[in-house]
Amino acid sequence: MGAARRLRIGVDVGGTFTDLALVDEATGRIVFHKVPSTPADPSQAIETGILGLLQRAGGAAAEVAFLGHGTTVATNMVIERRGARTGLLTTQGFRDVLEIGRQTRPHLYDYAVTRPAPLVPRRRRLEVAERVTADGAVLRPLDEAAVAAATEALLAEGVESIAIGFLHAWRDRRHEAAARRVVERVAPGLYLSCSHEVLPEFREFDRFSTTVLNAYVGPRMARYLDRLQGRVRGAGITAPPYTVHSNGGLMSVATAGAAPVRTCLSGPAAGVIGAAVVAGQAGFPDVVTFDVGGTSTDVAVIAGGAATSTSARDVAGHPVKVPAIGIDVIGAGGGSVAFIDAGGGLKVGPRSVGAEPGPVAYGRGGTEPTLTDANIVLGRLDPVALLRGAMPVDAAAARAAVQARIATPLGLSLEQAALGIIRVAVANMGRAIRGVTTERGYAPEAFALFAYGGAGPLHATEVAAECGIPVVVVPREPGTMCARGILLADVALDFVRSEIAPLDEAAWAHAATRFAEMQAEAEAWLESEAVPPDRRDADRAVDLRYQGQNFEVRVKLPDAAATLDAVLDSFAQEHARTYGYAIPGRTVELVNCRLTALGRMPRGAPEPPPAGGAVEAARIGLRDCYFDAEIGWRSTPVYDRDLLPACARLAGPAIIEEMSATTVAFPGQTVELDDDGNIVLRQPARTARRQELTAHA
Amino acid sequence: MPDIAPASPAAAADPVAMEVFANRLLSITEEMGHILIRASFSTNIKERKDCSVGMFDAGGRCIAQAAHMPLHLGSLLGAVRSVLEHTPASAMRPGDAFICNDVFLARGTHQPDITIVTPVFCDGRVAFFAVNTGHHSDVGGPYPGSMSQTARSIFEEGLRIPVMRICREGVLDEDLLAMIAHNSREPVERTLDLRAQVAVNIRGGELMLRLVAADGLAPVERAIADLLAYTTRRLRARIAALPDGDYAGERWMDSDGLPGGDPIRLCATVRKRGEDLLLDFAGSAPQARGAMNVAGVALEATCYYAVKALLDPDLPANSGLFEAVRISAPEGSILNPRFPAATAVRAITCNRAAGAIFDAMSQVVTPERNMAGSHDSVPLLLVSGQRRAAGSTGTYVYLETLAGGIGARRGADGADATQVHTVNSSNLPAEALEIEYPLLVEDYALVPDSGGAGRWRGGLSLARQISSRVDGSLITARGEGYVTAAPGFEGGHAGGLARLRHNPGTPAEKPLPTATTALPMAAGDAVRIETPGGGGFGDPALRAPEAIAADILDGKVTRGAADRDYGISAVAAALANWKDPA
Repeated sequence: MGAARRLRIGVDVGGTFTDLALVDEATGRIVFHKVPSTPADPSQAIETGILGLLQRAGGAAAEVAFLGHGTTVATNMVIERRGARTGLLTTQGFRDVLEIGRQTRPHLYDYAVTRPAPLVPRRRRLEVAERVTADGAVLRPLDEAAVAAATEALLAEGVESIAIGFLHAWRDRRHEAAARRVVERVAPGLYLSCSHEVLPEFREFDRFSTTVLNAYVGPRMARYLDRLQGRVRGAGITAPPYTVHSNGGLMSVATAGAAPVRTCLSGPAAGVIGAAVVAGQAGFPDVVTFDVGGTSTDVAVIAGGAATSTSARDVAGHPVKVPAIGIDVIGAGGGSVAFIDAGGGLKVGPRSVGAEPGPVAYGRGGTEPTLTDANIVLGRLDPVALLRGAMPVDAAAARAAVQARIATPLGLSLEQAALGIIRVAVANMGRAIRGVTTERGYAPEAFALFAYGGAGPLHATEVAAECGIPVVVVPREPGTMCARGILLADVALDFVRSEIAPLDEAAWAHAATRFAEMQAEAEAWLESEAVPPDRRDADRAVDLRYQGQNFEVRVKLPDAAATLDAVLDSFAQEHARTYGYAIPGRTVELVNCRLTALGRMPRGAPEPPPAGGAVEAARIGLRDCYFDAEIGWRSTPVYDRDLLPACARLAGPAIIEEMSATTVAFPGQTVELDDDGNIVLRQPARTARRQELTAHA
Repeated sequence: MPDIAPASPAAAADPVAMEVFANRLLSITEEMGHILIRASFSTNIKERKDCSVGMFDAGGRCIAQAAHMPLHLGSLLGAVRSVLEHTPASAMRPGDAFICNDVFLARGTHQPDITIVTPVFCDGRVAFFAVNTGHHSDVGGPYPGSMSQTARSIFEEGLRIPVMRICREGVLDEDLLAMIAHNSREPVERTLDLRAQVAVNIRGGELMLRLVAADGLAPVERAIADLLAYTTRRLRARIAALPDGDYAGERWMDSDGLPGGDPIRLCATVRKRGEDLLLDFAGSAPQARGAMNVAGVALEATCYYAVKALLDPDLPANSGLFEAVRISAPEGSILNPRFPAATAVRAITCNRAAGAIFDAMSQVVTPERNMAGSHDSVPLLLVSGQRRAAGSTGTYVYLETLAGGIGARRGADGADATQVHTVNSSNLPAEALEIEYPLLVEDYALVPDSGGAGRWRGGLSLARQISSRVDGSLITARGEGYVTAAPGFEGGHAGGLARLRHNPGTPAEKPLPTATTALPMAAGDAVRIETPGGGGFGDPALRAPEAIAADILDGKVTRGAADRDYGISAVAAALANWKDPA
C-alpha cells in the first residue's frame, strides 16, 4: 500500500539536463529520469522532473520520504557575476587583500589571461580601525562607531549583503562578533557573513575570499531555496529538500541558506560520493572516478573507500576553501572540437561546441568535427540514433566533416583520422588521471577505473590502458550517477578551528577543548537537521606539520580519546606515506582541528537485475565497429543493458547500450555483470602488457 | 594495414602518435614536479614552488619540462650542457647523478639554484637525462639568503659547486651532501631538499623507461624528433607571419645595482628574417659592479620566455623552440658578464631585458598583443633574525618577492599587483607571516595613482609595510624602478616609481637606499616598500568616462591626478554621469 512505501529521490541539476534517480527503500528498485534544465529558475525543472519520475515509478508525492538535490545555482551566479551587491568590512590596511590575491598571473606565458576582478569592488571594501595579533592579543580596539558609519555608507551604496573579514579572526573572533552586532543594529535583516563563521582558518586571502563569496551568493540563493521549497510543497511532497555540499554531504535548506558557499560544485561531489559507495559494494575500495560529459572530464581519487579531499578549490578564479572533494576537471568531452594547429598537430579541445550547435552528427548546424563525431564514424556510438532512438544521427555528415577537416589535410584515411581524434582525447584524459593520482602520492596502476557520465564508459577501456589500470567498472545508468550519488550521501557538516602551537600535552589538552566545543556545535546542528540520536556520528582529524613547514598533513583520529603519542605516530606514518620521509625528533605543530558531524542516512540495498536469464536475449543487433589499427573493423554484437541478467559473462568485442550511455568492450576483453548489475571490464592481453611493465618498474 | 605507416624514420611526422607521446611525456615531468614539491621540505620549494623539472635526450636537448619559473629553463639547460662537457656519456654509469650550481663552472643562473642531472640508461647507453633545479633559500655567503644586490663578485654569493657526482652507481655521497648542507644557514632544509631532488630524478628515469618498454626505444626517439620538429615548425609559422626587418627596443634600469650609479640601458634588437629571429643585445650596458649580471643561460631563458609569450603562449616548451631563435650579447656586458661577476639578483635584469624585447617586438606583433611597459622588477623583502618560538633555536630567513603593476594592453587596463615575465611566485599570507616571525604587517595595499594614465590605465603597484616586534631584526630590500618608470604605449603615461621608506608616517620617516642590505631594526621600527606601477596605453583623452569615474570612486586614482591626466571637465562629467553597474 502507498502508506507503506518510502521513496527516496535524488536530483542533479546540470547545465543542460536535470537528472533524477528514485529508489524504493524497501525493494531497492531504482528508477531514472531526465528532463531539460531551466536555467532561469532551476526549481521549475526539478518540479517537472519529480512529477515525471513519480509517474514513471508509479509512486505518489506523499510517499516521498527523502528529497536531495545537487545544484549549480551558487556556482553559476559567480561565473556569470549575477550575485548580490556586496560590501566588505575589513581591518585597516587590508582592504586590497581580495584584489591582490596571491599576486600571481594565472597563465605563465599568456598575459592576456588575468585574474578575475574581485566580487566586491574597491569602493565597497571599507576599512575600520581594529587589530588583533597572531596570538590573539588586541593591539588596537575595534572602533564600533567606524563600523556603524561604514555600514551606513554601504547601505547608501545599495548593498544587499555585507561580509566581515578581520585579520586573525580565526584566532580571536571577538572583534568580528562585535562588528556583527553593530551591523545587525544599523542594517537589520541584511544578509551578513563573518569570516570566523564561514571559515575559521588562518590565511586571510582564502578566508576573506570564501566569506565574500558566501555573502555574494547568499541573498539570491535564499530566494532560490524559497522557490524550491514552495514548488516541492506544491507538488505534495512533505519531506524537506536537502542540498549536497562540496564535500559530498547533505544540508538542510536552513544550513544551505546560511552557508551557500558550501554548495559550490555540489553535483560532481555527489557523483564521487555515489561512486565510492557503489564501487565499494562491488569490491573496489580504490578507484579513480572518470566522469565524461559533453564539455569536460572530471576525475577524482577514492582510496580505501573514501573520496580524497582538497583544500585548494576555486570557483571562476575565486578561492573557496570550504572542505571539498578533490575533483580535477579538464576540457575534454563529447563536444570537444578536433582541429589542426599551426604546427600541423592534431588537437582535441578544450574548446567545445556545447549543446548548441553540438556535434556535426546531431544536425543542429555544427560544422566542426568533435569527439562524438569520431565515435559515430567508427560505429562505437550508434550511427543511426542515440538516446534509445529519441535522437536521430546524421553519420554521413560526421564522416564528411572528419574527412574534410582532419583526414584530408593530414593525409590520413577516414578511420585513421577518427581514431586519431579518440587517441588524442584519451591521451589528454589519461594525463589528467595520472595527475590526480600521482599528485596525491598514489600510483594509478593500483586502482580500478570507475567510469560514468554520458561518455565515460565509451572511452574507459582505452583510458585505462593508457594509464596501466587493469579493471574498469561501469555502474548502471552511468549518465545519472550524480543523481544516484545523492541517494547514497549522509547528512554532514564540517567544523574547523585553527589552533597553531607546538604539539605537546598542553596543546593536546587544549585541542580536546576545541573538539568538545565543535562536538557541542555538531550536536546542536544535527538536532536542528532532525537527525535521530542513533544515527549521529562524527569524524575527527587534525592538520599537523613539522615546525618550519608551511603546509599541513591531515591525520584522522580514531575517536575522541586518541592519545598524543598515537597522534604523533600517525602523523609520522602519514607524512612518510605522502612525502616519502619522516623526521624523527623534530617538533610537530598543531594547525587545525576538524570535526565532521554526520547523520547516517538509510540507503537500502539496490535491487539487483534479474539473474539467470540468457545473455543472447539481451542482444539487440550487430554493427560494424572500428577498434584500432591492428583489429580494424569488426562486426560487433550490441546488447541492451537493461536486459542483461546479473552475473552475465560475455567476451568482447561488444557494445552495451542503455538510456544514458554506451559501453565499448574491446576484442579480448572479458565483460562481467556483478550481482548489482555493475559492468566489470578486464583488459585484454595486449594492454595488460603495459600494465605488467609498469608493475615491475 | 598498420595504423599510420611511415615509409622510413625520416618520413612525415605522425601527428597522432606525437600528440599521444607529448601527453605521456608531460605526465612524466608533471609527476616529477609533484614529487619534488611533495618531498621537499623548505617553504621556498614546497609552498612557493620555486623549482622546475625537465627531461632531456642523450644529445642534451630539452624534450619536456614542468616549469614553475620560466627562468629555471636556463638552469636546466646550462647544467645538462655542463655535465656533458664534464663527463662524456660513455663514462657515466647507471645510478650516477651530478650536482652543480655555479654560474661560471656549470652555467647556472645564480648560486641558490642547485641542479641535479641524472643520466637514464636504456639498452646499455645513456638515452635521457632527468633534471631538476630548486631555489635553496640559503647557500652561505656573508648575508642570509645569499642574494645581496651589492655583492661585488661571485665569491660573495655563497658556495660554488662545479659539476660533481653526488651519486656513484646508486650510492649517495653523504660526505659531499653534508659539506653542501653545512655551508648553508639551514643545513636540515638543504639536506632534505637535496635528497628529494635526487629521488625525483630516479623516479623520472623509471617513468621514461616504462614509456620505452611499452613503445620501444626507436618509436620513442622518433616521437621526440617529431615533437621537436613540430615545435620548431609551429614557431616558424608564427615568425614567418611577421614582416622582415630589424626592430630596436630598450629598457632602462636605475643603476648597475650599487649605490650612486647612473641609469643604464638594455638594448634589444630583434632581427627578423624569413622564419628566424635573432635577438641582439648589442649596445646594452657594461658588466655591472653589483649582482645584477645575467649569465648566458639566464638570458636564453629570458628570450625563450619572451618569444613564447609574444608569439605563441601555448607552444610546447622544448628545444624545438630554440631552433628558430638565435641570441647574441656582447661579452663583458651586463647580459654576458665575465668571471667573476656577481649574479644573485639577475632576475631583475632578466625582467628588464624581457621588457626591452617586448618593446622591440611591439612594432611587429599583432595589435592585440601590444602592451605598455610593466614593472619589470623583482622587488624583494628579506628579514632575518632569531626564531622566537618556544623551544626553537637558530635564525630564520623570511624571503618574499613582491608584485607590481602590469602594463595596459590594447583593450584592457593593466593587471594590478601581479608578478611579471620570468617570475611568478606567490606571496606569503600576512597571517602566516605573523604566526611564524616576530613581525607585524601594517599595510598591504594597492598604491593609488601608480598606474600610468591612458585610454587603458596601467596596473597599480603594491605597498607592503612591515614592522619588527623585537629588537635586532635585519631587513634587506631591493628592486628596480626607483628612478626609471615603466614606459607607456601610444601616448599612455609612464607607471609610478618605486619607493622605500623607513618609519613612514612618523617624525622619523626617511628614505632608504634602494639596495638596503641587513639594516638592523629596533622593536616598532617599520619599513615600507612600494613597487613600480605599469604603463598606460593610448591617449588618456580617449579613456571611457565610466572607467575614469570608477577609478576615482575606487580610490585607484585620486581626484587630483585624474584632473591632471584626464582633464578637469572630463572628470567632472564622468562623475556626474556615472552609474554603478553592479
